[in-house]
Amino acid sequence: MQLTSKAYDVEDIWAVQEFYHSKGWTDGLPVVPPSPDAVQACLEWAMMAPEQLVGIEPVRGVAITAEKLAINAVMAGCLPMHFPAVLTAFTAMLQPEFLLHGATASTGGCAVFVVLNGPIRQELGAVGGFNALGNSDRATMVIGRALRLALINILEVRPGGIDRSTLGHPGKLSFCVAEDEEDTTWLPLSVQRGLPAGVSAVTVMAAGAPRQIMNEWTTRPEEILETFAAEMRANLRHYSLHGGNYALIIPKQLREHLQSAGWSKTDIAAFIHERARVYRREWAEVGKGAVVRDRGDSIYPALGSADDLLVIAAGGPAGGFGAVIPPWLGHKSRAVTLPIGACVDCEPPKQ
Amino acid sequence: MTLQVLDPTNETAPPPGQLALRPAGLAGKTVGFISNGKEGTTAFFAHLDRMLRETLGVASVISRVKSNYSAPADAHIVAEIQGWDAVITGIGD
Repeated sequence: MQLTSKAYDVEDIWAVQEFYHSKGWTDGLPVVPPSPDAVQACLEWAMMAPEQLVGIEPVRGVAITAEKLAINAVMAGCLPMHFPAVLTAFTAMLQPEFLLHGATASTGGCAVFVVLNGPIRQELGAVGGFNALGNSDRATMVIGRALRLALINILEVRPGGIDRSTLGHPGKLSFCVAEDEEDTTWLPLSVQRGLPAGVSAVTVMAAGAPRQIMNEWTTRPEEILETFAAEMRANLRHYSLHGGNYALIIPKQLREHLQSAGWSKTDIAAFIHERARVYRREWAEVGKGAVVRDRGDSIYPALGSADDLLVIAAGGPAGGFGAVIPPWLGHKSRAVTLPIGACVDCEPPKQ
Repeated sequence: MTLQVLDPTNETAPPPGQLALRPAGLAGKTVGFISNGKEGTTAFFAHLDRMLRETLGVASVISRVKSNYSAPADAHIVAEIQGWDAVITGIGD
């Protein structure tokens, strides 16, 4: 396996850190030295040649090779077994509907939110329990970080360069969650989005920071979900009127009330679609009256359709906390779900 | 112990863009605006339109607005550029 990236001889691991920081090749945290052996191990695990194209960034025409992605994955702390998830997530980000250049260059400052589904979660030890949106486990942390390092280094998405974020948010370091499929009766997100059950999958979404809610004072599904819908309405009022993909993180304590009442993810999405909407005139109540004009009675739903909602079972076992993860820019960037290492819609071989 | 490590960047830079020839002046010319469509662009381009016509003698100003302010200009707008002598683009946050 012939790697073609430029190689540097560096004195020791401490010198590696200073060298990479000085080149602008890190996210500010220490990196694992990407040695040729470590990079080759990732490529071998994924059965990819170094020069194999992961894809081409559609706007700037930048080719993403497996070798460059593997280097960044190693730097992020990935083991070879993590690399297929990184590859699939980056492939999903390169789909035109994700609008990667816009999402990574925007002043809006979104991050790439990643959801893992299927057997790969257990193979990697990715768990969607305690601290699900934080440092819950090694796998989700390094997979999310690998994507950000790859954006920085392969696509030059550096603050002040391509990345024009006014604020950004902490998810731009790593923003990956594994759905807690074992502790719910609901269908996994990937199945809701059309993939077969039992297939490992990655979903990516250009996302703002999580908005946490709490409701521990009811067991009624409508009341629990009204709290989520209210947070989405707040986002429509305080951030953007434009609807798109939203994600809801629903923890076990709240899930159990919904599940025992027979509510599926589809039922939840239908309810939220009806409840999470505002009038344009409400912008006048939050200091944005200048753009209401004569369209005050126009209604703005958070979701274009119920299918735009990504309902994710995750979170520790106790606590009535949930989160709304809003879209970066309405429907202009779409969430993308892809299977890992499987082609679920390939043509059968011709006889 | 010396470590060998690899360059994580895209060492193959995309081909550089080539600047169009600059017109010697704008008098009698056609100038196109490509706006990203944000709220702040309206007044800015309206002012620029007046300035170009009244101060610099521009014959025609054509305004176009992108359908998505975070994506490249639509293909039909890019195709129109060939008929313009100069183009001004900008964002209006």
